[in-house]
Amino acid sequence: MGPPYLVTVVVALSLIGANPVHAAANKHVPKRELPRQEAPLIRDSDGVAEARLIEIYKLIGKAQNREALTKATQLVEDLPNFQLAQLVYGDLLAAHVRPVKAIGDVPDAMAQAAGSNLTELREESKRRVNALLEPPPPGAIPSQFLALSQRSRHAIAVDASKSRLYLFENTPTGLKLVSDYYISVGKAGTSKTLEGDQRTPLGVYYITSNLDRKSLKDFYGSGALPINYPNMLDAKRGKTGSGIWLHGTPPSQFSRPPLATDGCVVLANPDLAHLVRTVEVRTTPVVIATQLHWVAPHSVRTESKPFEDALHAWRNAKTSGDLKQILSFYTPDFSSNGKTLAQWTPTLKTELATVQGRTIQLKDVSMLRWTDTSDTMVVTFGEVADGIRTGLTKRQYWMRQNSQWKIFFEGVL
Amino acid sequence: MRNSKDSMKYACSPKFQPLRLLTLAAAMMFSVAHADDYTDVSQLMRAGKLPEALSKADQYLTSKPKDPQMRFLKGVIQRDAGKTTDAIGTFTRLTEDYPELPEPYNNLAVLYAGQSQFDKARAALEMAIRTNPSYATAHENLGDVYAKLASQAYNKALQLDATNPAVAPKLALIRELFNPTSPKGQKSGAPTHSTPTPAAVAVKAPPPLPNPASAKAPVTAPTTQTAPATPTAAVTAEAPAPVTPPTTSASTSGNSTKEAEAAVRSWASAWATKDVKTYLAAYGRDFAPPGSMKRSAWENERRERISNKSKISLKLENLNITVNGSNATAKFRQDYKADGIAVSSKKTLNLVKNGDRWLIVKEFTGS
Repeated sequence: MGPPYLVTVVVALSLIGANPVHAAANKHVPKRELPRQEAPLIRDSDGVAEARLIEIYKLIGKAQNREALTKATQLVEDLPNFQLAQLVYGDLLAAHVRPVKAIGDVPDAMAQAAGSNLTELREESKRRVNALLEPPPPGAIPSQFLALSQRSRHAIAVDASKSRLYLFENTPTGLKLVSDYYISVGKAGTSKTLEGDQRTPLGVYYITSNLDRKSLKDFYGSGALPINYPNMLDAKRGKTGSGIWLHGTPPSQFSRPPLATDGCVVLANPDLAHLVRTVEVRTTPVVIATQLHWVAPHSVRTESKPFEDALHAWRNAKTSGDLKQILSFYTPDFSSNGKTLAQWTPTLKTELATVQGRTIQLKDVSMLRWTDTSDTMVVTFGEVADGIRTGLTKRQYWMRQNSQWKIFFEGVL
Repeated sequence: MRNSKDSMKYACSPKFQPLRLLTLAAAMMFSVAHADDYTDVSQLMRAGKLPEALSKADQYLTSKPKDPQMRFLKGVIQRDAGKTTDAIGTFTRLTEDYPELPEPYNNLAVLYAGQSQFDKARAALEMAIRTNPSYATAHENLGDVYAKLASQAYNKALQLDATNPAVAPKLALIRELFNPTSPKGQKSGAPTHSTPTPAAVAVKAPPPLPNPASAKAPVTAPTTQTAPATPTAAVTAEAPAPVTPPTTSASTSGNSTKEAEAAVRSWASAWATKDVKTYLAAYGRDFAPPGSMKRSAWENERRERISNKSKISLKLENLNITVNGSNATAKFRQDYKADGIAVSSKKTLNLVKNGDRWLIVKEFTGS
């Protein structure tokens, strides 16, 4: 019985065969490959559903359709709401009675009735496969993460073009990619500007809270992690809207199409649940980019040198206590939680009075760079004067104006 | 036969296969004596007298509770009477007691499919095929179940409301287990099976898995012979001497052989080219459709099965024709491929010359 199979997938997956699973994203694979008797626990773990789907694709790629069908049957039995798995399962069944030429080779009438659903599932499949085919270079990190202090135990980066979220652990030796997940973004894509534009914002954000799933509608699935959109750069640019969350999926859908949300970043429930269990509120940065640019960790440090010089110059000015010199670091349109520079200057004066010429130390400095039409920096640090036991945790937003870095927001966390 | 029960216990152990085959064959011989009971039940069933058929089957089973053939008939009666749950129970127990028989699995699948339990239908059919890889009916049924399951999966994938729910595929039910006496007493079936002794069967067929194909051979032979005669004739059939003289040596009229062969090839080519009219015309008026199916129902089923395929390929291999007067038997291996289905099986056609045409009067798959 010469089984016909899914040509598109086969082409893609023969490549996977040649490219034995990328190290980084499979760090936790051993955990997934425990024997089946422990399946109930394992099956609900993050990333498992996709790993099972990819395993099926690989079997199809090797023309082992019988085995692929067995695995697909188990997968749809466990996750009947995993639409992409249902599609592949349907193909594997249909391949017994007719040639199947492409993934989702459904009868014409059905394809018409399905509207965009079929193309969306194919796109989801393509993006899931591509994420595996084009893994980040080993050891590389997204270029936004210039420096991350040990106050941040984890970091998240989203590549919207790949429909992928990357979770990093911030170890003493640097950021380590621990897992990556398929995600969905806004129906209208990215670059959110206005409330209701169904776009996902692009920029550097932080997780602001962890919403109790019991307080959420089913629609949000296993939980929600709101982020601080609009951030200070967004606010400066007059962007509107709110309520941008990382959240799970409704009971009817294991995963959603690549472009499906009203602006949120949506993960499958086991994946979101893993994030909720793993990451910390307030200290976990979330970078959302159209395309992540992966760089070697040491190269970001050399690139950040001019900015670090500016930051230290600001610190020195603050140590010197020269108000005029300090104010030269701030942009004319500076704001701090609604206060203009003139309104905020008294606060600055009070701070200087406390410091009284002591040397100021910046501790636990995190620097996240965001470059689009402007070159900006989100800096978080502890500001401590020598001899004083406690200081303030501050966040500043800097913008490069020609070769000069200037602060357009400063606030205490 | 005394220790048949004991032997049955070892059915799963390959070591005991020859023994089990023997026992099975012996059981077949035994069942010959009760061919009348089967015939009676079948006829009641055909006449639509289901309660009578059921009570006669039950009556028989009180003395022979294990008898697979009568239990099988009982399952078919229950199914025809709409007692689906009972029928499922009957066939399920048959699969437990006789896991080597594909027919109960097949019928179980038909019942599950009728309840839109296509996953269960699929599992049952896959078991049927595992027990007998060349079981054509199960392959065809499985093809239909796969198509139905694919359609369901697609509906779920595309989140379509199943607006056309449970259009259950028409799966072919096997109506009788061991292809017993044809009601019309087709004598022509006999000559091909010239080794009715159980011993001969055991020697003859040790390697292949015990499937109804091998089980069928001994039973059809004696029953067709005994049909017109008294039950004692069964005993005579046991005699080692072949009842019918070697047919090959008979009137091997070269012309007749060629004519019969041409008829078989024309039948195959009509099938492959989906020329249903010519295909059906290859069957004589006396052709007995499988089970107790009506000719018209059988024709409709064949028409549907053939015309719904986009492409059919049919190859006949090792075609061997024996002619005895106006009767001919064609034996061959049939390689059937249609769309995604591929089945290779042994086939036997009995033909009778009618005027100048050779027409099919009996068709066996697997034997």
